[in-house]
Amino acid sequence: MADRAEFLASIRHRTRTGKYKPTHAPDVAWTPKESPPETRLIEDPSARFIEKLEALKGHGFRAESGDEAREYVVSLARSRGAKLLVRWDDEELAGFDAPLADAGVEVAVPRDPEGLREVAGRADVGLSTASWAIAETGSLVLESGQGRGRSVTLLPPTYVAVLRADRILGTVPEAISKYAGGKVPANVCFHTGPSRSGDIEMSLVVGMHGPGDVHVVVVG
Amino acid sequence: METKKPPRQRDTRDRREEGIVSPVEGFNERGRKAAGDKALHDAIQLFTHKSVAGRNAVLNALPEAPELRERAYGIKQRTMANLDRYLEQMADAVEDRGGNVFFADDGEDVVRYIGELARRRGAKVITKSKSMATEEIELNHRLEEDYADLDLEIVETDLGEWIAQLAGDTPSHIVGPILHMNLERVTKILSGAAGENLPPNVQALAAFARKRLRQKFLTADVGITGANFGVAETGTIVTVTNEGNGRLVTSVPPVHVVVMGIEKLIPRFEDLSVFTRLLARSGTGQELTVYTNFVTGPRAEGELDGAEEFHLILMDNGRSKLLGTPFEEALYCIRCGACLNVCPVYRQTGGHAYGSTYSGPIGAVITPLLKGTDEAKDLPHASSLCGACWEACPVGIPLHDLLLKLRNHQVEEGLAGKGQKAAFKVFENTMKSPALYNISRKAGRLAQKPLLKDGSVKPVPGPTSGWTGSRDLPPLAKKSFRELWKEGI
Amino acid sequence: MRVALFVPCYVDLITPEVGVSVVRLLRKLGVEVIYPEGQTCCGQPAFNSGFFDEARSVARHFLDVFEGERFDYVVCPSGSCATMVSHYYPFLLEERPAERERAEAMGGRVRELSDFLVNVVGANAGDLGARYEGRAVFHTGCHGRRELGLLEEPRELLEGVEGLELVEWPNEELCCGFGGTFSVKMPDVSTAMADEKIKALEGSGADTLISGDSSCLMHLAGRLRRTGHDTRVLHLAQVLDPENGGGK
Ligand code: SF4
Repeated sequence: MADRAEFLASIRHRTRTGKYKPTHAPDVAWTPKESPPETRLIEDPSARFIEKLEALKGHGFRAESGDEAREYVVSLARSRGAKLLVRWDDEELAGFDAPLADAGVEVAVPRDPEGLREVAGRADVGLSTASWAIAETGSLVLESGQGRGRSVTLLPPTYVAVLRADRILGTVPEAISKYAGGKVPANVCFHTGPSRSGDIEMSLVVGMHGPGDVHVVVVG
Repeated sequence: METKKPPRQRDTRDRREEGIVSPVEGFNERGRKAAGDKALHDAIQLFTHKSVAGRNAVLNALPEAPELRERAYGIKQRTMANLDRYLEQMADAVEDRGGNVFFADDGEDVVRYIGELARRRGAKVITKSKSMATEEIELNHRLEEDYADLDLEIVETDLGEWIAQLAGDTPSHIVGPILHMNLERVTKILSGAAGENLPPNVQALAAFARKRLRQKFLTADVGITGANFGVAETGTIVTVTNEGNGRLVTSVPPVHVVVMGIEKLIPRFEDLSVFTRLLARSGTGQELTVYTNFVTGPRAEGELDGAEEFHLILMDNGRSKLLGTPFEEALYCIRCGACLNVCPVYRQTGGHAYGSTYSGPIGAVITPLLKGTDEAKDLPHASSLCGACWEACPVGIPLHDLLLKLRNHQVEEGLAGKGQKAAFKVFENTMKSPALYNISRKAGRLAQKPLLKDGSVKPVPGPTSGWTGSRDLPPLAKKSFRELWKEGI
Repeated sequence: MRVALFVPCYVDLITPEVGVSVVRLLRKLGVEVIYPEGQTCCGQPAFNSGFFDEARSVARHFLDVFEGERFDYVVCPSGSCATMVSHYYPFLLEERPAERERAEAMGGRVRELSDFLVNVVGANAGDLGARYEGRAVFHTGCHGRRELGLLEEPRELLEGVEGLELVEWPNEELCCGFGGTFSVKMPDVSTAMADEKIKALEGSGADTLISGDSSCLMHLAGRLRRTGHDTRVLHLAQVLDPENGGGK
């Protein structure tokens, strides 16, 4: 068993006494591209976000109102023949229960680990919000927290997230800077389109372990 | 019980006897076989061409890419110079968040720690997401052997890794572990696991794997991951996967163990904006990997999932030896695999020819460094030094220069064969004396006379045979440039 | 303008006609050419094999010979040997400050041929009266490409050659597989690399292969001949030199 103090002391010794300091900076081989492609300017983050998500075989939908968002989710659940939907325990999503129930879809809102374990694996649809989204990559930024099970976004074959348009950031660095130098939740995930694999002969498989059917409803 | 794999076929040949006069015996022999294997060749071409094209497209669309590369190099340089401090910061941060930290000198330490943990938890099923660090120490194999009494079922969950595991095979590429297998072979392997004949159809095979592995995710007692990055400032572990297995392994089982090489550290969370963008683009030609997952300690109060117990194993296994040496830059690697894809040698031989966990240019550099330079003596020579690796590397590691330094290191350690040593002494003496140079030129011309045929030197055994076996050798000219110059041009 | 010619050893011994063409080209442009006769080899074979001490001693010989002459530039018809002097002499002599300084000073004056022609004298193929009948592909040696960054220069020159059609070929950035002693230490992989280039060459429909490095050419020509190809193989200098009649 390695002792922490010894382990660190030996490393300190090497870094302090090692006489060699690498000096090669990366060389000319990467030259800057002269004109940034126009696609880099993001005028309408929601539109760019949806465009990117769709390019990755996800689905984006712009809802004018909360009602429209609920309609989208209900009709999505219906079209997938869903019997059980599991969602985050989040106020923004509370209004989805009644219309879903009216459409014959049972809604589970787990509030303890056992409850989540019991439903997440057999639910047809997972529903969550997102803390942020990233326009340039079509990513959702998902934070763990009370009532926000990670498996809700992972185990059901269909996953839908609902978020307000003003939560859409432009770039990856912007999203990262939300956590830089501060508190990071136990889990953050940049979730970018449906789960995929290309391991067998480089053929694309969508929905490998996570959901293959990913929807994001942007409200407002 | 599809995960009861046949015993791992280890390379048991004693490489020590392979002198440096033909230092590449091991590699050249395996490389020769690989280069002659048409199916393998096609598979490698398919993978590397697609990967390189994808990488080029996304990097060309990122004007700040050159700047990011400079920054990546700078950050890694700073990290290594103060590695002890950052490791301490990392350990403190993880402990602050309720995680456990263990410093492991080598693979042995890691195996023992995880084995004892599994025993304490009464674990039966362990799920793993792709991790080169655990491949490096043959974790699965050693856990199964050393902790046979626990009867552990250790399941790789990356599709490619799982297929390799079922076949008792090893990954042949950092990013595309089974690029060497064609559909037919994969169908056979998965059919074996299913106990029935599956159709040779990628979607159907993946659906089977999804179903089978889903059970494992849900029943696993422990999840093991590697780390693409560890952030010292926050104690955050970053894993990137496209399939989602990395996120599943860290979210569902009650225990999460991270095996992280100490060089994976970066100082600040903000630095991730440099590295995540470079890694996805260089490795798979994506702007961002599908699941870029950040885990900081165990699940927080009131959370419904995520591991209850979090263990970070910081593994040295030969890495710290490189600090402060001319080989330090080898530790800057972020394992993106770009150098493999562009390497003209790798493109002919594939990964298994390297006979080591890490293949391609970075494998040729890091393997002898981690294992000791008298191991894998052939690898530093498995390169034409074209520099394509260095050009592709998102951290700007001068891999070709490191290979040169390794070759020199072998010479200095007395690992070079006597014949070669004598030959280069003659070379030195000849080349620093114009008179000797002129004499040997004349002697060479005389010596080649009986060998000339149709304007080339005939293939004969001896020093030229390495060349003439497959290529014509041009003869020495009747008059050298020097002679022509003297006569007047 | 006065230049000292650095003729790599294999050009001196095997393809001296390349050196002759270089002399004619330079003179045609009004450049005075000297040839320091003490020169031998840049030391690369030993260096690439890890024999740094032996390479260092050859490097010192090179520095002694060339420092004894008066010139504006050293011109070398090989990206690889030029790189050896400009990049790897300082690398070899890193821990010997005085010698390193010598190496850096020399390195700053070494120019690969196309670099010198385009960037120092501003020559073009038209000035030289170059003419060549054929469809050609150009192979940039790896040192020229990555260490010296000479991608445009040779092409610019070749595009001006009357009668010559320069065509693209796939994966042109791939190494030819020579790699110095690599080609004999690992003949099979090295040959497979050459075959990949030859496949691309066949696909391009070119009848001529041109490069700025005779070592790459020797390797590819060796394989082309062995596999029964009659592709013409020429150094850039030969194509640019009208008196060489396009190397025939
Ligand atoms: S050495 Fe560079 S290119 Fe190769 S895997 Fe590591 S980071 Fe990627």
